[in-house]
Amino acid sequence: MTAGGPAGTGARPAAVCFACGEPVGAADSFCEACGAELAPLSVSDGRGAGGPPGCESCSSSRISADGYCESCGRKVRSGRDHQEADLGLVAGVTDRGLRHQRNEDAMALGTASTTAGPAVVAVVCDGVSSSARPDEASLAAAQAAAGVLLAEVRAGRDLLAAAPAAVSAAAAAVAGLGRPAGLLGDPPSSTFVSAVLTSEAAIVCWLGDSRAYWLAAGPGSAAQQLTRDDSVAEELVAAGLLSEADALASAQGHVVTRWIGADLANPEPHVMRFEPPGPGALLLCSDGLWNYQPTAAKLADLALPAALTDPLGAARTLTSFAIDAGGMDNVTVVLAPFPVSADPMPRRGQQ
Amino acid sequence: MSEPGFTVDIYQNEYLAEGGRDVNAVVTVATAGTASAAPAPGASSAEIIIVDCSGSMNAPPSKMAEARAATAAAVDVIRDGVAFAVIAGTHQATAIFPPDGGLAVADEQTRESAKRAVAGLRPGGGTAIGQWLWLAHRIFTSHPAQLRHAILLTDGKDEHESPEDLGTAISLCEGVFSCDCRGVGTDWEVAELRRISTALLGSVDIVPDPAGLAADFSDMMAAAMGKQVADVALRVWTPQHASIQFVKQVAPAVEDLTGRRADAGPQVGDYPTGAWGTGESRDYHLGVQVAAAGAVGQEMLAARVSLVATSPAGAEVLGQGLVKAIWTDEEALSTRIDQHVAHYTGQEELAQVIQEGLEARKQGDEETATAKLGRAVALAHQSGNEDTAKLLAKVVDVVDAATGTVSLKKKVDDADEMALDTRSVKTVRTKR
Repeated sequence: MTAGGPAGTGARPAAVCFACGEPVGAADSFCEACGAELAPLSVSDGRGAGGPPGCESCSSSRISADGYCESCGRKVRSGRDHQEADLGLVAGVTDRGLRHQRNEDAMALGTASTTAGPAVVAVVCDGVSSSARPDEASLAAAQAAAGVLLAEVRAGRDLLAAAPAAVSAAAAAVAGLGRPAGLLGDPPSSTFVSAVLTSEAAIVCWLGDSRAYWLAAGPGSAAQQLTRDDSVAEELVAAGLLSEADALASAQGHVVTRWIGADLANPEPHVMRFEPPGPGALLLCSDGLWNYQPTAAKLADLALPAALTDPLGAARTLTSFAIDAGGMDNVTVVLAPFPVSADPMPRRGQQ
Repeated sequence: MSEPGFTVDIYQNEYLAEGGRDVNAVVTVATAGTASAAPAPGASSAEIIIVDCSGSMNAPPSKMAEARAATAAAVDVIRDGVAFAVIAGTHQATAIFPPDGGLAVADEQTRESAKRAVAGLRPGGGTAIGQWLWLAHRIFTSHPAQLRHAILLTDGKDEHESPEDLGTAISLCEGVFSCDCRGVGTDWEVAELRRISTALLGSVDIVPDPAGLAADFSDMMAAAMGKQVADVALRVWTPQHASIQFVKQVAPAVEDLTGRRADAGPQVGDYPTGAWGTGESRDYHLGVQVAAAGAVGQEMLAARVSLVATSPAGAEVLGQGLVKAIWTDEEALSTRIDQHVAHYTGQEELAQVIQEGLEARKQGDEETATAKLGRAVALAHQSGNEDTAKLLAKVVDVVDAATGTVSLKKKVDDADEMALDTRSVKTVRTKR
């Protein structure tokens, strides 16, 4: 940890270039001093780098314009079906799963170097299936919110206040999608969970049933679920009507009671500050993961210790776990190890 | 040439149960416009009418007279500018018009000359249909027409050559011209003419009463004049190591094309569909077995079906459809049967049981004949194939159509039996 006060406590550390240490503007894309590209958002928008991928089944590189392998006929995963992002300090995987025809989950990841040290921004959104264009809603929400959070982090502003501002930006982006004429269903809507992780704390913000967990690595410090779902199941449990398992299994259990969408004017997100008691990893995920394993300690067993040094590998492990368990829903897993260690050259990439 | 717009639609249940490998689909190909649309001016066409002039055409004498009248009626329908010829068939083949053994260009004068030549046709001699086809082939190939079509009329068996001779002639003509075959009376062999019409992508039918010939010939020639695109093929791409179980035309009639595949590149084969005019619609049933089942949730392209116009200049894709496989463990999805696939599976069985039933009847196996024809009655009834149901009712006494309870008629008219045989392949469409 370098000089300067903790983020979000009044001190205003300027953002600095990860490569040369010179100050940079919060909205800059490139360092004015050395020209390094300042880590931009990594968004699961389906526009992965590189040329067309080959076939996963038979390794053929001949893929037809309509997305099938010219050799074995398999539908080649493309666009948002499976996306990975690895920024070093944080990594994520989002996957269509086995049952859905498209991936309606989205994630947006970013990192910032501040004089208070490196910081991680992550957002996971899960489009509400009963609404129109849920895939676009989740992507718009994640992208807009992460952009606001990243700018606020770089500007050194109060992160507890930044979270609701990010939700407002996400809500505006989703409302801007509008409802296509003639399409039935609710207007575009999405769940939301965001986190800003600094060397001091995690600021977690959510609406709906996408979750954040603290996965503790050290002995004696228990793993825990940080969020409480805005869902019918949660309300049934809170009212003492059903056990958690029975509530989740009930027909309406997965109906969310708060969300981001044009039909919920003031979404009132939950915001909490969490100080990790020791080393571990912050996990953000959609219900495609936790449906198969809701217990924090068990998720920690699956993800650790790999998540501490290889968050992408651990995110892949959790994603595979959910798919192998049935893959009923889209799966998104984002992991950020703690402490947030300065990484001189953040890795970036998508597939 | 101005081509009609082609559409290709695929009907299937793309969902397969875990481990499932068999994919079935109905491919509907249609051309825009009305059937009687104006002919395409640029398409060059050639027509040959082949008339049986064997001695049996004299019994009764009206048969030859009606055949002459029918040929004249067909000649009248030939459009100006179309190259045409008339062949008289006996144990040998004779080009009777134009007399130089080539093709004449149709106009008022050549049509009149042709009709005069036809009026002079007299029966006498044997029957060697392969010879007729040889001559038609020679005449067609002397002219660079794109659309080549023949009408072949006979009243008897192919007695004056071996089945091998006929087979050789058919192979020679395959892909060179299409041929509609008609049998007049009841002394000809259904299987023989079907062998020709199937290979040469044409129809086969019985004209029991010679008086019906002229109208039938006019209709056939009018349909031929409406063709605009020659040599259209169904081009089927399949995944590596997949096997094509069958490719059948199922509407307007069942024609098995499975054995007609011509490789057109790796994993790609062409199946001939012949020539197309405006306002046509044909259905095909495709069965593909993929090499390995995918995991639940996986999607595979089981076949890409394109319609291509092939010519020496290359292949032009006229339309395309995708046959997919998606593996699921939801039984409600995988057990659903597409109604088009179900319907045509029934129509194919209908054609098959009629032919098997008639064969059993010929062999004196009344038990099998009753069972097969009873099944046919039930299938015709269920699918609403009324024409076939009527033809069946002339061969069996129907006790209960729904269950297919029948008894064989003691006396069956030869013409009725042959009509049922030739028309057994005619299908009806699904009620959409």
